[in-house]
Amino acid sequence: MGLLTRKIETAPCTVEVSHRFEELSAHVRFDNGAVVFPGDEVKVHGSPVMAPYGEVVVEHRTATIVRASALERLWTRLTGDFEFMELCEFSFSEEVTL
Amino acid sequence: MNVHTADVLTAEEGLAAIQAQADKFDSDDATDLALQNTLLTPRFYTTDFDELDAIDVSSVREDWDKLLGQMRSDPNKGHFKKNEDWDAIDWEGMDPALKLEFLDFLVSSCTAEFSGCVLYKEMKRRGTNKDICELFAFMSRDEARHAGFINDALREAGVSVNLGFLTKKKKYTYFRPKFIYYATYLSEKIGYARYITIFRHLEANPEHRFHPIFKWFKEWCNDEFSHGEAFALLMRTDPKLTESWNNRLWIKFFLTAVYSTMWVRDHARPAFHEALGVDVEWYDQEVFKKTSTISRQVFPLELDIDHPRWKPTLRRLEKAMSDGEKAAKTGGPAGMIGKAWANLRGAAAFVSLLTIPSKPNTPPENVRLEPAY
Repeated sequence: MGLLTRKIETAPCTVEVSHRFEELSAHVRFDNGAVVFPGDEVKVHGSPVMAPYGEVVVEHRTATIVRASALERLWTRLTGDFEFMELCEFSFSEEVTL
Repeated sequence: MNVHTADVLTAEEGLAAIQAQADKFDSDDATDLALQNTLLTPRFYTTDFDELDAIDVSSVREDWDKLLGQMRSDPNKGHFKKNEDWDAIDWEGMDPALKLEFLDFLVSSCTAEFSGCVLYKEMKRRGTNKDICELFAFMSRDEARHAGFINDALREAGVSVNLGFLTKKKKYTYFRPKFIYYATYLSEKIGYARYITIFRHLEANPEHRFHPIFKWFKEWCNDEFSHGEAFALLMRTDPKLTESWNNRLWIKFFLTAVYSTMWVRDHARPAFHEALGVDVEWYDQEVFKKTSTISRQVFPLELDIDHPRWKPTLRRLEKAMSDGEKAAKTGGPAGMIGKAWANLRGAAAFVSLLTIPSKPNTPPENVRLEPAY
């Protein structure tokens, strides 16, 4: 990991999308144990994984992980906290008027 | 807004694939063809997983085991089902202003549950501490269930959520664990207070219940309540988190930011509150009161929401925010100046709220609470 350079790597991954009444969820798991760090970007290749209503779809895909540079990682660690309002639920979107 | 319609997807093949799949999947249900496609856009986070793993719950073991036992038994497993209480809704005949705000309510709530589910699942997956992993697995389960329930209500309204966000580029931001504790604790407890206040109000005034989903709010918010309890216990494992001088400042800042954001957003949704038959100021103060009372279990201070400056300053903040929005819509140099001036007034109001002295609190020996409202 360089101070200013980004490294790009690919990882096999499993995408699981549940589009059911009892569970709405979508998760990506890297099959090679790759771990995401602050500031990294992840993109799963291919067309969107779509589950029809009432079903769970599991697909094996490839993902690109763009590793943040050391500087970006530091910046994300220092400033991420200030986005804490993202974690709060207010029932409504942030638009002041609709 | 947290959502984007599918037409903002830049990858054309993605769009074509969505359409092809949507046609294929929904062709058996004619009404589904008209579904408005809403791409969920949850945020992705990382945190210090080593710090999470290092949590030792032995100082609160008895309460912890009891709470986790309750979560394991999954008392709400059968609750989120539609039964005869789920009345038919005339979406076509709904006042357009109310429909817009109510859909915003449903989509935002669904996105929030969904983001919680993703965050908790990630924490469970990355952790090695058995206690912590088990907790996050239960919370992720509950959030996915809530999201599914709201999703169903959205489908009835002709809105289909699109989970295709995974194939879009996602940047992971970072929160220190303590920020996750403060924010999610507060979010879960405020969620409980919001839901139970609406539920009790509609119990007394059923003629204002314009959608059946409100009937499910009681058990729903009990899930929120117990998630909040878990974060309260986590904060108790390390007294520094709530007692040190700078963390007290953070807590005050958090409470002020969260309460004032709620005030501004609720006031921007007049049709929704009018349909429920609640006065927004009354409702928000009621939610603050309940949240403040509950959070005495863990926070060393509470905001003085009866202070003479409290409500007038919130009103000023709200006015500044809506003026800013209007100015931004006007555009041009006048709009820019108007927006900057409104931002300045908003910031001044927020600082003024922060300077209202808070009321000190000594959390009780026994941290656990049960839903009492």
